[in-house]
Amino acid sequence: MTVVAEPPKKLVCWSCDSENDADAQFCANCGKLQPYTPADYFAFFGLPRRFQLDTAALEKQFYRLSRKFHPDLYARASAEEQRWSLEKSSVLNDAWRTLRDPLARTEYLLGLVGIRLEAQSRDASDRAAENGTAKPQVVPPDLLEEVFELNMQLEEMRMAKAGGAGDPEVRGSLEAAKENFDRQLNASEQDLHALWSQWDHAAGANDGATQQAAQQRMVDLLNRRSYIRNLMRDVEEALKN
Amino acid sequence: MAYSDKVIEHYNNPRNVGQMDKNSTAVGTGLVGAPECGDVMRLQIKVNPETRVIEDAKFKTFGCGSAIASSSLATEWVKGKTVDEALEIKNTDIVKELALPPVKIHCSVLAEDAIRAAIGDWKKKNVGAGEQASAQVAVAAN
Repeated sequence: MTVVAEPPKKLVCWSCDSENDADAQFCANCGKLQPYTPADYFAFFGLPRRFQLDTAALEKQFYRLSRKFHPDLYARASAEEQRWSLEKSSVLNDAWRTLRDPLARTEYLLGLVGIRLEAQSRDASDRAAENGTAKPQVVPPDLLEEVFELNMQLEEMRMAKAGGAGDPEVRGSLEAAKENFDRQLNASEQDLHALWSQWDHAAGANDGATQQAAQQRMVDLLNRRSYIRNLMRDVEEALKN
Repeated sequence: MAYSDKVIEHYNNPRNVGQMDKNSTAVGTGLVGAPECGDVMRLQIKVNPETRVIEDAKFKTFGCGSAIASSSLATEWVKGKTVDEALEIKNTDIVKELALPPVKIHCSVLAEDAIRAAIGDWKKKNVGAGEQASAQVAVAAN
């Protein structure tokens, strides 16, 4: 799916009737707060849908808008303006929390283009049950094999540690495993940045095929990360006890 | 969130934990995972080629208590059933039996997936031996 830029609509100020950009938060002419219309987080900040984002600029924008939307400023305004200021303040906080975090932002933008990470496994199960076929795994089989194998090794180490046998040795292998997962997480972050750049570049060039390929690789990468994160948590727990 | 007594019982005394030779033609292996929670589940069945009855089942699951209980229960249920009967097992049956809360339903889905994957693997291995399975169709469709 390509993300097509919507034709620019205009927003007519409720107070002074002048025309504004569709995503204007305040009227450019009279400065009045404009109604809250549900928008995605990128549109809310007036940003294009891109994975790469200048978070320092976003932070400035967030603080600026927090002050300007603040409900205290509208204590004597109309009931509608009071409601808009509350709604906008709340969306602003959600949007900021989501967009500033690289992984949350990635999942969010993937969601906007129709990929629901949380539901992909369930959706595949439902389809498989309907046609009576074995479910195509959303995770590549070799990754499942690898994760299973790592879990087996980890369990052995934990059991050896619980048995008190060769404690320093087991500790060493647990720490090595932790380092390995750490490395993999770092490497996957690098890969993710490269995919962001591919997708963003393709979005600018209206290259839907490249965008789709990059999206799919992002999904695989995020799935892999969620497994590694779990393994990491187990390793850390084993090292603590 | 509290686990039901049945989940705790299966968690403390999991049935049929183990491994079978995945290269044996009588054995079907299903390895499935849910990336959203990081669980992996391996379920294996040993099928009598004459009667198509599942004579033995083993599992190994890395995941939460509900995932372990779901796969433990799945191995108990498939044993003694024919592969076709086993395909009738639905995740909702597992939910009911274990009284799983809504947030843990995906664990039962995973167990159902594992049964299907194991049977699919067994059928694929035995296509030549008169097994004209839906698995074959599925493979051809890929």
